[in-house]
Amino acid sequence: MTNTRRNFLKAGWRYCTGLLAVAAGWTTWELLRPLRASGASGKFKVGNPSEFADGTATYNSAGRLWIANTGGHLFALSQKCPHLGCRVPFCESSGQFECPCHGSVFDIAGEHVTGPSPRGMDQYALSIENGELFVDLDAKTDGPPPGTRNFYTPAKGPSCKGQG
Amino acid sequence: MTQTDPAPSPAEATVDVLEPERTISATTRFGRIKQGEAWRSVFRHPQLDTPRGRALQSFSNVFLHVYPVKVPARVLRLRYSWRLGYIATVLFTILIVTGVYLMFFYTPSVNSAYGDMQQLRTGVGFGQLVRNVHRWSAHLMVLVVVLHLVRVFYAGAYKRPRQFNWVLGMMLLVITLGFSFTGYLLPWDQLSYWAVTVGTNLVNYIPLLGGTVRDVLIGGEQIGQATLLRFYALHVAVLPLSLAMVLMIHIWRVRKDGFAVTRGGTGAFAEEATELASENLVLDPVVAADGARVRLLGVVDRESVTAEERLTDDTVFTYPHMLVRHVVVGLGTIAVVLALGIAFAAPLRGIANPNETPEPAKAPWYFVGLQEMLSHFDPLVAGILLPAGVLITLILLPYVDRNPATESRYRKVAIVIFSIILTAAIVLTVIGALFRGPGWEFIPPWRHSYLEL
Repeated sequence: MTNTRRNFLKAGWRYCTGLLAVAAGWTTWELLRPLRASGASGKFKVGNPSEFADGTATYNSAGRLWIANTGGHLFALSQKCPHLGCRVPFCESSGQFECPCHGSVFDIAGEHVTGPSPRGMDQYALSIENGELFVDLDAKTDGPPPGTRNFYTPAKGPSCKGQG
Repeated sequence: MTQTDPAPSPAEATVDVLEPERTISATTRFGRIKQGEAWRSVFRHPQLDTPRGRALQSFSNVFLHVYPVKVPARVLRLRYSWRLGYIATVLFTILIVTGVYLMFFYTPSVNSAYGDMQQLRTGVGFGQLVRNVHRWSAHLMVLVVVLHLVRVFYAGAYKRPRQFNWVLGMMLLVITLGFSFTGYLLPWDQLSYWAVTVGTNLVNYIPLLGGTVRDVLIGGEQIGQATLLRFYALHVAVLPLSLAMVLMIHIWRVRKDGFAVTRGGTGAFAEEATELASENLVLDPVVAADGARVRLLGVVDRESVTAEERLTDDTVFTYPHMLVRHVVVGLGTIAVVLALGIAFAAPLRGIANPNETPEPAKAPWYFVGLQEMLSHFDPLVAGILLPAGVLITLILLPYVDRNPATESRYRKVAIVIFSIILTAAIVLTVIGALFRGPGWEFIPPWRHSYLEL
């Protein structure tokens, strides 16, 4: 191809159009990308550790999470099922978390027991300061992989599935 | 004075310049109006019931111009296409009209959206009916677009020269699903909130980018005000414009690519004409025998002359033959959605509550097959790889399937593969929609129905 003015202009407008398209795409992406996480964040107090008895799971609506106690070990578990984001309720009769969407079941420590969830329930960091229990919503870790049985306790009674 | 027959005055009868052998009666008031300057400035020709008059009407009317002046007679048969593409277009128009009505009474805010829906139900004249018609039209549009795709596949109508129109059709399917999905959230009730939660969480499984893409889609980590506003903007502006644009090209390509020959393969004018055009039409400048530089626009050989005559013999005027059929089907479609709107109310559950997942939480019916698959397989496979693979394969189908035959007996492999995928999709959707209850337990619909629409 010879270096004519026409070829130069032809290449010029093609590159300019390409640049414009990239700039438009990047601007749109940056415009739509959330700059900070929505919802609650930061560290907050959830109560005194003695308020959470062994074998119970207490819902905390401010953080949208469960505080579970099994054998003296406390966990702050995200209410969102790692499978598809449904809220996972705690079934009192079985003593396990049972997802209503696709039937994933987690033990009281959030470990995956059965169902299609790819892992256990996600967890937040817990700390005790001046005798009070704090949850850090910015320190979230993925739940344990399937098969983890560090705190596993079998269902203590009938499942809540199908009870609507 | 002797009485004689009065000669027709210019005010009573006019000879049309385009059709000199015809006269326009001006004895009625309407006839006189039609001769007036104002009328003729809008309608540039008389409505003559002659072949030339019909052709002129099509040429000079923007709406009739969507159609070709003449269509092959076989296209008139209902079995040719079942009018599915046309019905989808009618449903889209109904959705635009009813959607604009609804916009007068809806604010995309988590604080007021649900209240607006209740107000629409109880405090707005015909508000519930308009919402019902909008809802059922949306569901029907998804169904009809899918049926259109299935018909086009089995007819082999995606093959050369209509490959790109098939791709456009796939784009329209994706936009239609996006339309329905974004609209699903707007009532801001439990049904919409959790269906969209399940639907958008599928995106999480896209490797590497999943979480970011989902955040961009819903405007944060959780579904909330940003999500509602984004879905609203997509639903009322981005997607309608996209769909209108692609639909325009899609319809234009139907005309330009020619009508598919779906039975027998004889009289395949469209294919022949296109092949002749691609083989014989020379657009490059050539040098004539005498050395003069000329531009050759086309080469006409005997075959193309034969094809031209077959076109003439095989065609009928779009107006009125096709138009009447379209009007009937359009009115029938309106009647069906109105009947559905009167008979069945669009659901409205309790206000969206992020702290309470209803049992069961199902995705919209057109995604419930995916949800069913997700309960059996790894989410990456069931939620991303399989559906994306099927979608990409379908888009590329006309370029992958090089078999030129359109008759089913010559394309058994393609038909068997497609039929298996289609059957699997139907079975999964039926199981997910009708046979799943709380905890995704298998519950037959005769025991309790958990169907959500």
